[in-house]
Amino acid sequence: MEHNKRQGRVIPRIYLVSSGEEKSENCSRLMTQLSLLPHPFPCIVQIREKQLNTKELLRVALQIKALALSKETIIIINERLDVALAASLDGIHLPESGCTPAILRPLAPKMLFGCSVHSLEALRNAEESGADYLLFGPVFETPSKRAYGPPQGLQLLGRISHSTSLPVFALGGITPENAAYCMAEGAYGIAALSIFQETTRLVDTIERFYNIVTP
Amino acid sequence: MPVTPFLCVITDESLCPVSLAEEALKGGAAMIQLRHKTASGSQLFAWAVAIRKFCRQYHALLVINDRLDIAMASGADGVHLGQEDMPAAVARKIVGKNHIIGVTASSVHEAIEAENDGADYIGLGHIYPTSSKEKINSPIGIETLRQASAILSIPVLAIGGISSENAGLVISFGASGVAVISAVSRAESPLTATRGLMRAINPKK
Repeated sequence: MEHNKRQGRVIPRIYLVSSGEEKSENCSRLMTQLSLLPHPFPCIVQIREKQLNTKELLRVALQIKALALSKETIIIINERLDVALAASLDGIHLPESGCTPAILRPLAPKMLFGCSVHSLEALRNAEESGADYLLFGPVFETPSKRAYGPPQGLQLLGRISHSTSLPVFALGGITPENAAYCMAEGAYGIAALSIFQETTRLVDTIERFYNIVTP
Repeated sequence: MPVTPFLCVITDESLCPVSLAEEALKGGAAMIQLRHKTASGSQLFAWAVAIRKFCRQYHALLVINDRLDIAMASGADGVHLGQEDMPAAVARKIVGKNHIIGVTASSVHEAIEAENDGADYIGLGHIYPTSSKEKINSPIGIETLRQASAILSIPVLAIGGISSENAGLVISFGASGVAVISAVSRAESPLTATRGLMRAINPKK
């Protein structure tokens, strides 16, 4: 299998995680971010809004599907395969505490299944379970200081990336200044939340990332 | 759907859902609703698989609250959807005819809408004041239950403040059954409480 393709889809190398702070189904921040995404630079967009109820999540997913995004942009949602099916999203992202791809794949054979991994053991589990890509972090201190635990560092990112043939995204405090270090450790691409929320610089940020992550 | 009138026991976040379900099934509950708003996906899945096994043993049904994904993955019989969850019509498109879809309604209007959306049963309430959930609205009362039961052709379960004292009355007002949380989960013996409710809804047995 080609390294950059899973389930017949080219996996973009820039990964935008939603803020987790949307107040309602309007998701104004996420909609603004997505409407600004420059077409030549496809992304993975992860809807991660645990505070919304299922009805609101579904509305968000449908609103995003209605946007004119780059054809190669991939929309995934945290955990909720049911919402992904209802809105015809491209895949779901599973935290370590979530169900496994092996359990869910039979329900949606063509979807992409991503897994968060924080250790080599979790990496093995995700691989055996049939994950399509991995999200590893936090690599650096994160501005949002989310409950991901202490930074895991570039060294473990390197060990993870070199232990698998799956695409590994580096998450946590990634900036255009340090992204090259992640790529040097074997990361497939970079993932971020906070830096993409500075919408006035979003296009510039994505362009800078794109130049670093594109082989 | 189970033979009416039947009892649905909803799991409580304060107890292990699997042991609660087992007690309820032993006591005669025909339906278990796994409801846990904060558990992780893998935890919910594990509980659902364990409870489903007991449900098969007792010829009872298992529905999962809100999480249609968990319902599908675990082989549960269906999903129970609140008004803040996925609309029943959307869920029906995903699962087809083989899954049971229950919907919570708090008015005759919502109940009719849910039936038109393809729901298999309604949980109507809260009928009486209840301590189980944060409820800002006042109870809808048994007259609303009587109206909804008369209009709808799908089973209507009375929920909210149901106990062995009033369960017989709500059945006489047309409910196809009752659904309870605290009446079983917070009882000293969930098994004894379930049996009490079963006697109340089936006085002849």
